[in-house]
Amino acid sequence: MSNATTGLDAARKQEIKEVVCDILEIDEDEVTEVSLFKEDHDADSLRAIEILAALERTQHVTIDQAELSRMVNLVGVYTVIEEASARG
Amino acid sequence: MNTGMRGTDATPRRVVVTGLGVVTSIGIGIDAFTTGLREGRGGVKPITAFDTTGFDYANGCEVTDFDPAQWIHRVDPDELGRASQFSVAATRMAIEDAGLTVDEVRARRSLVSVGTTDGESRDLDQLVETGLATGPESYDPVVARRVPAGRLSSGIIREFALEDVEAVTIPTACAAGNYAVGYGYDALRSGDVDVALVGGADALCRKTFTGFYRLGTIAPEACQPFDKDRKGILTGEGAGILLLESLDSALARGARIYAEVLGYGLACDALHPVAPDRDSIARTIDIAHRNAGVTPDQIDFVSAHGTGTRANDITEVGAIRQIFGADAMPRTVSIKSMIGHSMGAASAVAAAACAVALTQGFIPPTVNHNETDPECGVDCVPNEARAAELNIVQNNALAFGGNNAVVILGKYRSAA
Repeated sequence: MSNATTGLDAARKQEIKEVVCDILEIDEDEVTEVSLFKEDHDADSLRAIEILAALERTQHVTIDQAELSRMVNLVGVYTVIEEASARG
Repeated sequence: MNTGMRGTDATPRRVVVTGLGVVTSIGIGIDAFTTGLREGRGGVKPITAFDTTGFDYANGCEVTDFDPAQWIHRVDPDELGRASQFSVAATRMAIEDAGLTVDEVRARRSLVSVGTTDGESRDLDQLVETGLATGPESYDPVVARRVPAGRLSSGIIREFALEDVEAVTIPTACAAGNYAVGYGYDALRSGDVDVALVGGADALCRKTFTGFYRLGTIAPEACQPFDKDRKGILTGEGAGILLLESLDSALARGARIYAEVLGYGLACDALHPVAPDRDSIARTIDIAHRNAGVTPDQIDFVSAHGTGTRANDITEVGAIRQIFGADAMPRTVSIKSMIGHSMGAASAVAAAACAVALTQGFIPPTVNHNETDPECGVDCVPNEARAAELNIVQNNALAFGGNNAVVILGKYRSAA
């Protein structure tokens, strides 16, 4: 598993996972850190923006829309949130 | 798309445009608007309609020189939301432009159909803001009463005291103006009414700006349809109202005829909340051509939906190519480059632009254009209007939810 997400503690990761699963309308045991939102969980571009917006709100960060290309699975989201938190 | 007919007439009535009323960010009234189109003016400026704090950029095409009292006489303008004020004002302009008196319109069986995206969401924005700040008990009852979208059409009936009239507000978002024109065409063609006041209206509002902003589709500065560096839409506002009547009626009273409504096509696909579908758009164009009895080679230019987003422009041009053929692409322009995206008003204002283009023999330009996106690959009549002898033009409107509507207008030439 990626080491890129060590900066976020387990509780924070769980919070993010809940937000993502809520928007994708899936159970938490259906998603893994590397399963793809689009290919594996039927997300479209609108869902991706919903995830971005919800994370900005709950994680108190600002995420550039260009980051959507990296937010394809939980690992990608953790990395983007970690970087955004470091900036903020 | 009524092809049948009422009564004993063997031939359905022909329908013509004899009056135009517009409220736009480049001109109020058809003369000022036409001058704006010919000169390629731009209506873009920083938004003042709401507090834009927190947005990295907030340009729009706002109407800043509109005085409702100039156009609204019988109804207290304060009882109308901004979109209804636009629709009523544009209607008065259209009636006057047609050379009719209000009494003459009232004496006829009439239809009022007004399309919209947001209705009076501008007032809803304000009510929500009030509710958040001080609670719902602080709602202004005058503002609350203005909210129902039905008032965009019923406001017209109140202002002109119309009696034998059907009023509809059509909520098919950014294609609603064309839907309203089509509805008027059917009502006149079948003999249900003798005059139709049709079009669309919308007022700039925070809700819609924020929604498009969140989707990443608001251009920071300028709207550049078909340009390789286009960055999205600019939200706009205004109204367009067309006065339609039968050809016989127009000839009998010696009216100036801007254009004939040759037909239209609708094809809602409901495939996706926001993404346009190329095949569905192509199908809509094909239906419109067949309904109007025209072939692609007869279309002199296409007034595109042309929002200036990556998705719209490529998908829309792809659909046009599908119907016209890669070697026979029509000139394809977007007046949204000048007036932004006025939502439900957009295709009605564009229909008015098509009508004056036919009458005066020019193609409105697509401004802010530097370099055409090779993926679009159209002659968008960049930056400067072009003189052209025109016979038949096509007005596209594509809305969220796959609500697509295409209207075909033709130049009216009296029989020699």
